[in-house]
Amino acid sequence: MNIFLRELKANLKSLLIWSAIIILLIFMAGAKYSAFAGDPELLKMLDSMPPALLDALSMRAFNLTTISGFYGVMFIYFALMAAIAAAMWGSDSISKEERDKTVEFSLVLPVSRSRVVTAKGLAALVNCIVFVLITWVVSLVAVQSYNPDQAFYSFLALEMQGMFVIELIFLAIGLLLGCAMKQYKRSGSTAIAIILTAYFLSIVVSMQANLDFLKYFTPFKYFDASQLLSSGKMDVTYLLLSAVIIVVCVVAAYWLYNKRDLYI
Amino acid sequence: MSVIEVTNLTKYYGKSRGIVDVSFKEEEGEIFGFIGPNGAGKSTTIRLLLSLIHPTSGSAKVFGKDVVTHGPEIRRDIGYLPSEVFYYEGMKVIDLLKYSASFYGKDCTERLHELSEYMELELNRRISDLSYGNKKKVGIVQGLLHSPKLLFLDEPTAGLDPLMQRKFFDLIRKENDRGVTVFFSSHILGEVQRLCTRVGIIREGKIAEISDIRTLQQNNYKKVNVTAAGLNPATFDLPGVTNVQTENGTLHFFFKGDINAVLQKISAIQVADVTIEEPTLEEIFMHYYE
Repeated sequence: MNIFLRELKANLKSLLIWSAIIILLIFMAGAKYSAFAGDPELLKMLDSMPPALLDALSMRAFNLTTISGFYGVMFIYFALMAAIAAAMWGSDSISKEERDKTVEFSLVLPVSRSRVVTAKGLAALVNCIVFVLITWVVSLVAVQSYNPDQAFYSFLALEMQGMFVIELIFLAIGLLLGCAMKQYKRSGSTAIAIILTAYFLSIVVSMQANLDFLKYFTPFKYFDASQLLSSGKMDVTYLLLSAVIIVVCVVAAYWLYNKRDLYI
Repeated sequence: MSVIEVTNLTKYYGKSRGIVDVSFKEEEGEIFGFIGPNGAGKSTTIRLLLSLIHPTSGSAKVFGKDVVTHGPEIRRDIGYLPSEVFYYEGMKVIDLLKYSASFYGKDCTERLHELSEYMELELNRRISDLSYGNKKKVGIVQGLLHSPKLLFLDEPTAGLDPLMQRKFFDLIRKENDRGVTVFFSSHILGEVQRLCTRVGIIREGKIAEISDIRTLQQNNYKKVNVTAAGLNPATFDLPGVTNVQTENGTLHFFFKGDINAVLQKISAIQVADVTIEEPTLEEIFMHYYE
């Protein structure tokens, strides 16, 4: 409990910064939407753009002039932010002890390494939960002036659940990197590299139908906003796949952290 | 009972050597000196015993328990003062000490204040504002506040002023009187001699010698420097004299044996200056590798 609480306190600053960024993003998006809302001219202009470009920006599947459509386009950016934040929290909470050379204190205390990983993982999880709740609540506030219908609220709820699962996946990946990599300096940048690769992969998959099988390799496709909007529910296969990734990463993180030498 | 029992312990970091085939025992209540130059493997040995790193081969037991499998349990009764202390920078000294104390499942408040007062530690300062020496003091209090049964000291005096060093040594002696076993690693022979009863000498990852401190001193060379006009190296042609060198009218040599023999020779001539000193650790090592 003491490690968990100390970790929460140490993570607070980072949580505040990330929250400030996402709040800014939501309000900027809201301001942009006010220009699109109910404007048929915009639709005509979008129709004249190359379809591949629209696919890349996932704009074809949505009607940008409705709030649901607009939020569907924005979702990938929320998910991307959430993924980066979660992965950083996961990897950093482990690797910072080696970076700041505090392992020689914190792991000489009578605690097992597993207990340390558990406490730090849970503290990062709290950050992820708070982050998704902030995104949700601020979104609700930001769209009030457009009087959204009930369908939007359920779509938003679905998006936020998807965002949470994406957070969990990347938290687990980040935790694994922090635990596994002795080169603590690289764990953060590796996490970012994985996220960006996954993101670009998701773009490629949207543009090229014959590369459709690649969608299993990018968590951003598991909770595709257009799919969520049209089906109104999350795909069970993808949920199971997410669960498998999370469990495998977490188990590997514990195992490797217990086995390896700490970098001092 | 052996508090520390190390058997053929070997550690390689990839291909580079940490320690090779190290074996020794430390009995309860002993102050065991572990000396060697930088990079000899002193810290590696301590980190293996604390299970911060894992052995390549061989084994180590502390309190009769294997360090790899019983780490957390063993560490409950261990205090550790690393050569360089690093704590969470943003925390206040008092919060850090309380945080540390919270892991040992007993009330350490009284001892915390007792030790801080003795070490003249300011509890309300932030860790990041402390000087190297003051951080070391935090390390001393943190390492001792849960009344450990075994103390690991890794070059503990670095950064402490002479007055604090003395206070620190008194503290360690007091702990030892209460039955605390001390594992004292250092590259300064003098402080090891002051405190320890038995020493292990490590060099290039291997144990060169384990012996009683007295035996080590008796077997040791003294370094003699004599400055006098018209010195002749033949003056000191005694058994036990080696490495005779003349430089700017000063004669340097090593001597091993009854020091009175040299003193008699010196008193027979008119000297400008005489020093007789302990050999440096390096010089002792040279002796072991001759």
